Amino acid sequence: MASTTQHALLSPAELAYLHASLSLTPPIRPDGRSATQFRPLAAETGILPGTNGSARICFADGTEAIVGVKAEVERTRRGDGGREDDGGELGGGGGGGGGLGSRLEGDFVEGLEGDFVEGLEGTVFLGAMLAEALLASGEFAKKLWINRRFHWKLYLDILLISPPLSYPLPLLSLTTHLALLATRLPRLKSEGDEDPFFDDDWAAAPYLYTRTKDGKATSRPPVSLLVMAVGNNIIFDPSKEELAVADVALAVSVGEETTKTDEEVDESSSSLGRNLRLLSVRTIDPPSRLTPPGVPNATNSAYGAAATTQKQPEARAAESEAVEGVWKAPRGGAKALVMAALVQKSLVRGGVADEVLDALDAVDLVA
Amino acid sequence: MPLDTSAYGLALLRVDGRRWNELRRMHAQIRTQAAADGSSYLEMGHTKVMCVVTGPSEPGPRRGGLGGTASGGGASSAQSKDAEVAVSIVVAGFSSVDRKRPGRGDKRILELQSTISSALAASLHTHLFPHSTISISLHVLSQDGSLLAALINAATLACVDAGIPMTDYVVACTAGSTSTYAANDEAADPLLDLNHQEEQELPGLTVATLGQTDRVAVLVCESRVQVSRLEGMLAVGVDGCKQVREILDRVVRDKGHRMLLEGTVERGAGLDDMEVD
Repeated sequence: MASTTQHALLSPAELAYLHASLSLTPPIRPDGRSATQFRPLAAETGILPGTNGSARICFADGTEAIVGVKAEVERTRRGDGGREDDGGELGGGGGGGGGLGSRLEGDFVEGLEGDFVEGLEGTVFLGAMLAEALLASGEFAKKLWINRRFHWKLYLDILLISPPLSYPLPLLSLTTHLALLATRLPRLKSEGDEDPFFDDDWAAAPYLYTRTKDGKATSRPPVSLLVMAVGNNIIFDPSKEELAVADVALAVSVGEETTKTDEEVDESSSSLGRNLRLLSVRTIDPPSRLTPPGVPNATNSAYGAAATTQKQPEARAAESEAVEGVWKAPRGGAKALVMAALVQKSLVRGGVADEVLDALDAVDLVA
Repeated sequence: MPLDTSAYGLALLRVDGRRWNELRRMHAQIRTQAAADGSSYLEMGHTKVMCVVTGPSEPGPRRGGLGGTASGGGASSAQSKDAEVAVSIVVAGFSSVDRKRPGRGDKRILELQSTISSALAASLHTHLFPHSTISISLHVLSQDGSLLAALINAATLACVDAGIPMTDYVVACTAGSTSTYAANDEAADPLLDLNHQEEQELPGLTVATLGQTDRVAVLVCESRVQVSRLEGMLAVGVDGCKQVREILDRVVRDKGHRMLLEGTVERGAGLDDMEVD
């Protein structure tokens, strides 16, 4: 569980109002977006020629992040489980063998930096979440293989430029996605297991995520989306205020199903949408759990109710029955049906994930 | 990697093809970030820095849920009469040629922070904002020499964008000398705006002046240099600062002009008489 430490300063009355408007069908969001609409964003890649790949994304609310990817050649240690036979299965999650671990060296965690990151309690968690999604796709580690003795080691450094006005996971994930798409590694000239020797022509360097002639990537890194539920409504990319009344918040990482041929890619992406698959899900502890409850008029002494003699009227109110229009922090776990719907909605063809990937696809990739 | 200084004597051209008194390409933008009070982006050659200014605002738990203590500050505590200028520098791991693990509490970074903080505190009208903090966070995206100069210039631009009253631009640039301290050669030329390679090899200093004047706000020299060369270097540096001021001023004016055209800001009463081009 991660906690979002930044609290929106909202009164119980405001929270109740926000919760009510978000529970309507269709939900009414404070910024006028529809439930499945992402914030508009401006993105660019290849901003830093000194890196293997870089990207910058600005969300419309002003939050901004820069990701730079640096690659180094590293000697593969003997006895890295499952690494020696290249045909073998690479193992699934982050804990699935020292081979994968050493390849990434947990640098997603170290990679998060910036003045504002210090204030974020979940920095490590955010980094881990991004790394987890990358590892879960299983494809990523294979791309870093040079030969049996050497592998690439990628350093992803994420720079959060702006103060975190909202939970920065979608921002960081999308920026990382773009940077990885723009990442190129020098072309290998040596053969077999000899010491790697690379082509010094940068123009000949292939992309880490291979692409077709017209510049479309055939595979892509995963994206992590923030999804939340209020009542029965499922809302994508919540702002800080919306997150403050969430019943459940989930970080859902989705990747594209690897397609075999180029024709399949074109066909599927043009008409049917992408084949998305779920890579990881994490629950985010919504700040709504820590909000103070409202006091209904019936028990409010200011409105003529008998003055309570208890020392902590708030504690008593929290125990009381839910009153219509009075804010009460959500308690307990999420309903299984809601959880299923959350995941289902993020994976639907032509849904939000598709839209986001399409939008990122439209960004010119220059490295 | 030794710098081939012998080539300079022949053609009077430096490794990147510049003459002794030429600046590298300088490009700057202000108001790059909508969420901040002031922001700027500055390139000096391949050195690229970004600056975000928050404030003047109340100290304590900073806006946007920031915690931690302000670093590189001047006069601390909320009780002071002047605004505190807190500078923090984040050097990205990917900024240099070899990726470096960002270290906490690097002495070099701390020194840069306090240098920038004191330089700006002297130029900003901090007395207008008692009990408040101006926090300047600088991000180094790419390094190729003259880092301190770039940071000072970016911070100045961001402060202008944030609308914090100041006496004049604090502009900085570096200067060096073509021969090392050991060589006793009289024909040594002073050089303007060192890149990383020259900075490694030659003696150099960073000088910041207050706008168009010759008043030096910052002078940092970390290498050994013959005292007879210092005057020449300083003169070239101060001259470079004037060029830098022109460039920064142009950036601010252009942005202001564009904002007027777009109608982002109202044309003020006194603005008609002002030359806005």
